[in-house]
Amino acid sequence: MLMREALAALAACAWLAGCAGPAREAGALGGDPGRGAMLIVRYGCAGCHEIPGIGAARGEVGPPLDGMGERVFIAGRVPNTPANLSRWVRRAQDVLPGGAMPNIDMGEQDSRDIAAYLHTLR
Amino acid sequence: MADQGDTRGEHRRRRLADGAACYLAGVVTVIALGLAIVATGAFDVSASAPHIRVVGWALRTTMVNSVKARAEPLPLEAPLDPAQVRAGFRIYDRECAPCHGGPGVPRDRWVSGLIPTPPYLIDASRRWTPGELFWIVRHGVKMTAMPAWCVQRSDAELKSVTAFLVALPALTPEAYARLRAAEAAPPAAEAPPPSSC
Repeated sequence: MLMREALAALAACAWLAGCAGPAREAGALGGDPGRGAMLIVRYGCAGCHEIPGIGAARGEVGPPLDGMGERVFIAGRVPNTPANLSRWVRRAQDVLPGGAMPNIDMGEQDSRDIAAYLHTLR
Repeated sequence: MADQGDTRGEHRRRRLADGAACYLAGVVTVIALGLAIVATGAFDVSASAPHIRVVGWALRTTMVNSVKARAEPLPLEAPLDPAQVRAGFRIYDRECAPCHGGPGVPRDRWVSGLIPTPPYLIDASRRWTPGELFWIVRHGVKMTAMPAWCVQRSDAELKSVTAFLVALPALTPEAYARLRAAEAAPPAAEAPPPSSC
């Protein structure tokens, strides 16, 4: 609950500052960062990634996801927009076939929420 | 002199008695609190909501320390025996991958409904020693969905699975897919050894 409020405050700040960063677009996509944080644990992202704010997330298989809100490319390949990140989270194999990150069987809203959380990371 | 000695002795006895009473009160409070949680249904057992942070921490830390305290060293030196690794792969791909995934391989969707969530194991051998991995696979973990595989597989088979886990960080998604294409399903499980678990 506290986390959700903190994230909402963060998003509001970004908006007030008028920065056209990904976080603002994430809001436009209808992603809920608070729910995204819960889903990150549920879908096992923590097994492979270190993710700030997710206690159990200390995986060392893929890259740490700190600063995802500011990174230019996803996997060094596609522009880091909310739509692309949401697709990457769900369909990594379709974006980058043969990578270690699998396609994960989740609904589109779930991936939007996860992308929204990742885009709050500065 | 004798009087002073008596006073000191009595003082010490009283402090001991006070300490014991305090300790007892503490124990009674903890037991009462525990019983209250058990009796009132205050603890949410649903797997649709995550553990509250402190419970998740306590369960995970208990699990890690329990495994470390019980596991025995398992000598699995490099280079690993390729035949053993392949035998481990055959079992892993069929019996472990549905919950733990693999390089480029997702877990089954229903698995995301488990709390705690079964981890991807690609870097498991960097967190656990071979002996610890073998112990976890063999004995399972209470209050997670991890079964004691000693029910279904022999120690030799579970050592193969452990060898595969040790080999896993070096396995590319392509290599895993190639193994999948090349290797047949695992042989039917042997009858469980009677005294294995």
